[in-house]
Amino acid sequence: MFEVLERGSLKVDLLRFKYKNCLTDIFSSLNFKIEKGEFIGLMGRTGAGKTTTMMLLNGLIPHFLEGDFEGNVIANTMNTQRYRVQTMARFIGLVLQDPETQIFGITVEQDVAFGPSNLAFEKEKIRKVVGKSLKAVGLEGYEKRMTSELSGGEKQRLAIAGVLAMEPEILVLDEPTSELDPAGKEEIYKLLSGLKKKGDVTILISGHDTEEMLEYADRIIVLDNGQKIWEGRPTVLFKNVVLTKKIGIRPPEVAEIGNCLKECGLLDQDSVFTNRNEFLQFTKNNLSSFKTSDNGSGKGHSVSNDSIAIETKDLSFNYQQKKSALNELNIKIHKGEFVALIGKNGAGKTTFSKQLNGLLRPTKGTVFINGNDISQLTTAQLSKEVGYVFQNPDHQIFSATVYEEVEFGLKKMNLSEKIRSTRINSALEFVGLEKFTKRHPFTLGKGERQKLAFATVLVMEPKILIIDEPTTGQDWDGTNKMMRMLDKLHMKGHTILMITHNMILAAEYADRVIVFSNSKVLLDGPPEKVFYESEILKSASITAPDCVILAAELRDTGYKNYPVTINKLQNDLLEQLAWKGNVN
Amino acid sequence: MLIEYYPSESYVHKLDVRTKALGFLVFTIISFVFLSPVINLLIVLCACVILFTIGTPSTGIKKIIKPLLPIFILMLLITGFTYPASNFISEENQRTLFSLWSIPFTLGGFLYGITLVLRILIMVITSTIVTYTTPIEDILQLLKKIKIPHQFAFIIATGIRFIPTMQKKSEMIQEAQKARGAEIGTGGFIKSIGSYITVLIPLIVDSLRMSDNLAIAMLNRGFGAMKTTTDLNEIKMRGRDYLICFGEVILIAFAFWLRSKNIGVL
Repeated sequence: MFEVLERGSLKVDLLRFKYKNCLTDIFSSLNFKIEKGEFIGLMGRTGAGKTTTMMLLNGLIPHFLEGDFEGNVIANTMNTQRYRVQTMARFIGLVLQDPETQIFGITVEQDVAFGPSNLAFEKEKIRKVVGKSLKAVGLEGYEKRMTSELSGGEKQRLAIAGVLAMEPEILVLDEPTSELDPAGKEEIYKLLSGLKKKGDVTILISGHDTEEMLEYADRIIVLDNGQKIWEGRPTVLFKNVVLTKKIGIRPPEVAEIGNCLKECGLLDQDSVFTNRNEFLQFTKNNLSSFKTSDNGSGKGHSVSNDSIAIETKDLSFNYQQKKSALNELNIKIHKGEFVALIGKNGAGKTTFSKQLNGLLRPTKGTVFINGNDISQLTTAQLSKEVGYVFQNPDHQIFSATVYEEVEFGLKKMNLSEKIRSTRINSALEFVGLEKFTKRHPFTLGKGERQKLAFATVLVMEPKILIIDEPTTGQDWDGTNKMMRMLDKLHMKGHTILMITHNMILAAEYADRVIVFSNSKVLLDGPPEKVFYESEILKSASITAPDCVILAAELRDTGYKNYPVTINKLQNDLLEQLAWKGNVN
Repeated sequence: MLIEYYPSESYVHKLDVRTKALGFLVFTIISFVFLSPVINLLIVLCACVILFTIGTPSTGIKKIIKPLLPIFILMLLITGFTYPASNFISEENQRTLFSLWSIPFTLGGFLYGITLVLRILIMVITSTIVTYTTPIEDILQLLKKIKIPHQFAFIIATGIRFIPTMQKKSEMIQEAQKARGAEIGTGGFIKSIGSYITVLIPLIVDSLRMSDNLAIAMLNRGFGAMKTTTDLNEIKMRGRDYLICFGEVILIAFAFWLRSKNIGVL
C-alpha cells in the first residue's frame, strides 16, 4: 500500500540495525509513526535504545555512526538514506543530552546564529530567527552574554534555541531535562508545549519524567531492548501501574494509590487515578470523614543522642568577588543520620558539602568532623573520614582495570597486601561489581561506572558519606538500586548526606531534610515536618511529593496524619475504608 | 597570555580589525627599523597612552609583563657583554662601562639591549590592544578575508570557546581525585608531576568523548550544508578607518626616511 506522508511527520520502518564492531543487533524491527503536530514522549530504561532511535531520525545513523542498516526512516517526507545529515538538519532538529558540546559560539547570539548561518540564511533573516528563538526559550536579553558564563539550565535552553533557529518542522530532544532541577524541568516542558500550541512543530522527547510526560505528551512510545513494547496515551499507560513498573518506569504517586484500591476491588482499571483531582473526587465520594486514630501528628524531631559527626560553626563562604555563597551556617549532624540536602540549583548545597572534606575552605567559621577542626587537614587526609561521591564517574576513572581503580586510594595507606585485597573485594562486592575486577572501566555501562566510582570511595571506609545527586540521569531501576545501597550503608551506621532534587527519595529515605535557599538554611527537620511547610517550600521553589499535597487536601475530612510516602497514605486510606466497610 | 576581548565603546573598539592589524604591523616594523632606544621608548609611550585611554585593566597587563621581567634582565646582560665595541658608530657607545672577568660591558650593548626589550614591550602592548578591543569573530573574518579556509577559522573559534569548559572540567576532576585520597601537586617535583596523571587521563578521555559529541552536534546544526555561510556582522571599513590607515602608511614611510638619514642608530 502506498502511503502519502505529510510534511512534519515521521515514519520509522526499520528491519534491523547493528553498529559496526558490535556483535548484537541494537534493533531488530522497529516501527512507529508520528503525525504532524504531535507531542510524543519516548520512554524506557537506560540502554533501551532511545538515543539510538533519535539518531536514526535525522540520518546520523547510518551516515555518521555506521553499521548494518536495513529499512527506511522517513522524516518530513525525506528518506534519511538519500540525504546528508546537514541537509536533514534544516527540517528535523535534534537536541542531544549534553548541552556543553552543542554550544559553538562565544556569545549567546553567535551560538544561535551558527545553525542559520551554516544554512546560508540571509543576514536579516538570521537576526530575526535569533531573536525569535531566544524569546521562545526565555533567553531574551542574553544576546551578548558569554556562553561560558551561563548556568546549566540556561545552557540547556540555549541548545534548544540553537536548533529552533533553523526553523525545523520536527524537534527531537534527547533527555533535555536530566541535569535540571524540578523548576528547570517544568520550564522546558512548558516551553515545548508552548511551541507545539503555537505552530506546526512536531515534538519527540525522551526522558524519565513521569509527571511531565503525563501532563504534556499526546502519546507515549516505550522502548525496551531495542524494541517498541508499548505505545498509546500516557493516561492509559500510567493507569496500569503493574505494567508501568514492569517496563522500568516510575508510576505517578496517585496512580499507585489508585492501583492499590483497584487491587482491593474498590476501583476498576479505568478509574485508577492519574491526577490529584481524581483522587480527591474519590475521597469526597467515599469518605465523608476520617476517623483514624491520630498517630502522632507532625511527630517531633527526635533529637538523636548519638555523638556529633559533623558540626559547622558560623560557617561562611564566598567565591571570589561574588556575593556570599554560604551565610553563617550552624549545622550539627549526628552519627548515623541520613540527611537529604535539597534546594534549587545554586542555593548552596554543593558548596556546603565541599566544605566538609576540605575541597573548599570557609572564608569565616570552622568545620568540625568527629569533633576535630579540619582546617589543618588536606582533602586527601580527610578522605578516610569523609567520602565524597561525585555525579560524573568519568571524572575520576583512569586505571586500566576495575581492581586497580578501586585500589588507588589505598596505595598511600601502608596496608598489607592481604588487607588491601579484602577491602577492595568487599567494596566491589557491595556495589555488585565483583565479577568485573579484570575489566577495563570504560567498557562498563554508565550505571556500572557510577557504581565503580562509588566503590572507589567506599574502599577508604569513611564513616561519613556525601553523595552528590546519586540518581541524576538514571532510570527508575538504577535509582532504586542506588537508593537501596545507600539505605544498606545507613543501616550499617554510616552518616549519609545526600544532595538531591528528587523529593520522593528525600522523603522516603532520609530521616532529616535540610532545605537550602540563598546561601542559608531555610528549613531543617524530619521530612514529616519539613515537607508540610508548604508556604516556606514554595519560596524556595520546592514542590513536596504528591502524597504530602494530598494529605493536606484531606484535612477537611478529618485526616490528621503526616505521611511523606505514598505507602503510608495508602495504608491510612485503606484502614479508613475497611473501617467504614465494617460499620456498614 | 593575552587579555581577552571586553566589549566597550572606546575609539579603538570602533575601528575595523584591519586598521588595528595594520597598526600592529606598523608599530612592530618601526621598532625593528631603529636601533636606538629613544625612538622605541617614544613608541612604547604612544602605545601606553592608547592602552590606558581605552580602559584596559592594569592588573591584566601586570600579569603579562611580570613573567617577562627575568627575560628582559637576561637580554640586557647578554647584549651588554657580547656586543663588541666595533659594532657601534659613535665613540660614546664604544665606551666600556665595567668589566667582569675582563669581558667588557659596553654602553652601546646595554642600549641595544634596552631596544630589544622595548621591541618586545611594543609587541606585547599593541597585540594586547588588538585582542582587548576586537571580538574573536572579527579576527576570524580577517582570516577569511586573507583566504584562510573557513574550516580552519572554525577550529580556532571552537578551540577558544572550549578553553573555559576544559578549565572547569580539570577543576572538577581534581576535586574528584582529591576526594578519594589523591594528593595533587604536592610532594617533590617528580612526584607532583606524576600526580597530575590522575587528572590528565580522565581529562583526555573526556575530551575524546566530547569531540565525538561535538562532531554530531555540528552535523545537527547543518555545518557544511551549503557552499557558503553567512556572517552575521560583516567587518566594514569606515571613513575613520581609511584615514587612520593612511596615517599609518605615512608613519612607516617617515620612519624609513629617517633611518635612511642615519637617525636612530647606535
